[in-house]
Amino acid sequence: MQSYEYYAPRSLPDALEYLAAKAGDCRIIAGGTDLIPALRKGDIHPACLLNILEIAAAGGISETEETVRIGATATFNDLADSGLIRKEFPLLAEMALSVGGPQTRNRGTIGGNIASAAPASDGLPVLMSLDAELELSSRRGNRSLPLAEAIAKAWTPAWAADEMITAIKINKLPPGTRTKFYKLARRKALARSRMTISLILRRNPEGVIEDLRFVPGSVMPVARRMREIEKLLSGKVPTDELLDQSVRAVGEEMVKVTGIRWSTRYKKPVLGNLFRIVLRQLITAG
Amino acid sequence: MRAVRKVVMAEDQVKTVLKMIVNGDPVEVAVDPTWTLLRVIREELILTGTKEGCGIGDCGACTVLLDGKPVNSCLVLALQAEGKEVRTIEGLGTEENLDPLQESFIEYGAVQCGFCTPGMLISARALLDKNPHPTTEEIKLAISGNLCRCTGYVKIIQAIQKAAQPGQ
Amino acid sequence: MKKRGIGYGSMFYGLGYGFSRTDIAAVTLELNQDGSIIARSGEVEYGQGSDTVFCQIIAEELGVDYIAIKLITADTDVTPDSGPTSSSRLTFVGGNVFIKASRSLKKLLSGVAEEILGENDLVFREGMVFSRADPEKSISFKKLAGEAYTRGVPAVVTEWYNNTTQDVDSETGQGDAYSTYCWATQMAEVEVDTETGKVEVLRIVAVTDVGKAINPLNCEAQIEGGVAQGLGYALEEEIKEEGGYVKTKTLGDYMIPTSLDVPPIEVHLLEVAEPKGPYGAKGVGEPALIPTPPAILNAVRNALGLRIHKLPANLENVYHLIHGEEAGK
Repeated sequence: MQSYEYYAPRSLPDALEYLAAKAGDCRIIAGGTDLIPALRKGDIHPACLLNILEIAAAGGISETEETVRIGATATFNDLADSGLIRKEFPLLAEMALSVGGPQTRNRGTIGGNIASAAPASDGLPVLMSLDAELELSSRRGNRSLPLAEAIAKAWTPAWAADEMITAIKINKLPPGTRTKFYKLARRKALARSRMTISLILRRNPEGVIEDLRFVPGSVMPVARRMREIEKLLSGKVPTDELLDQSVRAVGEEMVKVTGIRWSTRYKKPVLGNLFRIVLRQLITAG
Repeated sequence: MRAVRKVVMAEDQVKTVLKMIVNGDPVEVAVDPTWTLLRVIREELILTGTKEGCGIGDCGACTVLLDGKPVNSCLVLALQAEGKEVRTIEGLGTEENLDPLQESFIEYGAVQCGFCTPGMLISARALLDKNPHPTTEEIKLAISGNLCRCTGYVKIIQAIQKAAQPGQ
Repeated sequence: MKKRGIGYGSMFYGLGYGFSRTDIAAVTLELNQDGSIIARSGEVEYGQGSDTVFCQIIAEELGVDYIAIKLITADTDVTPDSGPTSSSRLTFVGGNVFIKASRSLKKLLSGVAEEILGENDLVFREGMVFSRADPEKSISFKKLAGEAYTRGVPAVVTEWYNNTTQDVDSETGQGDAYSTYCWATQMAEVEVDTETGKVEVLRIVAVTDVGKAINPLNCEAQIEGGVAQGLGYALEEEIKEEGGYVKTKTLGDYMIPTSLDVPPIEVHLLEVAEPKGPYGAKGVGEPALIPTPPAILNAVRNALGLRIHKLPANLENVYHLIHGEEAGK
């Protein structure tokens, strides 16, 4: 590995000052589970490395009456163990528990997962389904940016080089909303997702779908809500025929974005199958 | 266990002095910022019980406790351990006084080639410290980041169950 | 939809190199004055438990404490070449040479004991050497070792065991290629998800004829490990190449089962004594893993009514088998 300057401030202003001074030449390191292998391989050669794990202001999980704030340096285990997250956003806790293994869950952070902007990210689909917002900080000030705008292109975060994520903000879900995260992988730990389903569902007492949010993961360059499918089912009672229809539609929507690739033969039908399996689980859960 | 250790810095190398607590003892060692905690443990502190299986966080052979939590030391930059407590396999029991997990691993035949064993014991120790009476599923989850090719995990799980029993 | 199935896989496997290939083990035993023993042999222990078995054999033959044995293996400076650890041969070939050497040493010491006790039909047990007819006539093994030394009897023996077989007939392929064979059958129960192609193995039962389980715990451990390897081989493990380049380069790409992937394994050891084996023992290293993939694939066949012809039986291969076949009908 080529050497670099290493800085681990405790205060956020110090970090932002450093970022501004080194902008463009500096990589931020938190858990390091993505960055260290990349450094070892020689994929990146930063002149400076900024460790943000010691910055209290970038960590923690807290709530107000209407929102939950998750610090950028919250680890996957922090999320999985958090009573607040398990209560307010069960699918986020489910996702967190499914990533990697126990050791990487103690280091990998949600901020790092977002900033990677990787197509195989598990955090992005869940957070997209929750319409999360990023809190970005720089020496110039703070701002909020909807996640869908912040990560609009694979591998390419849309914020400035002198900005860093300090937190993720999510609005609490209305009562009666159910959520589920499902991961299809080749083995039950230490596995990249083959495909994931993030689903949020609320129905009225008659069973009509009032709110449906669906984000497939690891199938498209950038995770986003499949609004065409959401529209297909919203305001309706999910009958078997409607579900069959949606199974086909899900695959077709995926192909509209990805085109035909070697994996399409498998992913197209199975993504639809998984959507139906998970939606059925949420429907029958009560 | 060594107490304070200072390393003479070569003139042309940029090194920082890292201070941390390893197996209960304060340690000072000059490190290059690119070094991982694993490298420092094995090659500077000569604590070779911790193994490098893959170097990229895919196998768990390098597992140590960092402030009580099991982590892959190959994915921690040495400098990120500044001021923190590290516990390696050498800090788990002594030859005269084995940790109950070490005893049960021997009793149950849970060690074959031994390469995954230090990491397994560390993950198991972290589990029992947090959850003294785990279910079988909880044990499997706790060691799911530690690959083993020899045992099929069967006797490892039995050994951890034995060490976790009430009264142990 | 989830479909369940049960399948069996049976195998037999020749131990040792066979086909007239050189297959020899050797050991030197040296008795110290204090009754401790140094054993030197070229076998390679890498965690499968061969060192343990060899010490057990010496202890069994000479009635000494297991702890009193110092075993040195796989040191090219001081140990006689005994071939590699492969072909599931160590317990069989190595075990036999340890028995042979132990018995040679026993014969040597019996001569000394006869001088002292006046008896020649002797039992070596629990640290004592005594007359079978009149157990009161006895001497401790330690004392006997000291006596051998002062009487100038060099208590060092070296033995070879030759497991080299004949070759088969080059025209007909008939003959005793191997000196013995292992037999094993495994049963796998699986559940296949037809919507994703995921094969879940619910349990495996492994019945292995080991001849004699010199160390039952270690036999079980070998089989459990082998089953896990067979599971990975059947369902997930794959080396991909493209244009001569290996694409599967890391432990993240090449996926072996984790603790969450291995189902309950039930192990039964059958002991059908092999006359040529040490105490009837054979071997278990490779037999542990061979029946597993066929058992799993036969279970998938039972579940789906379709046969997998391409390994691994992973998500895509199974899914396309199910839906490709249906499309073709």
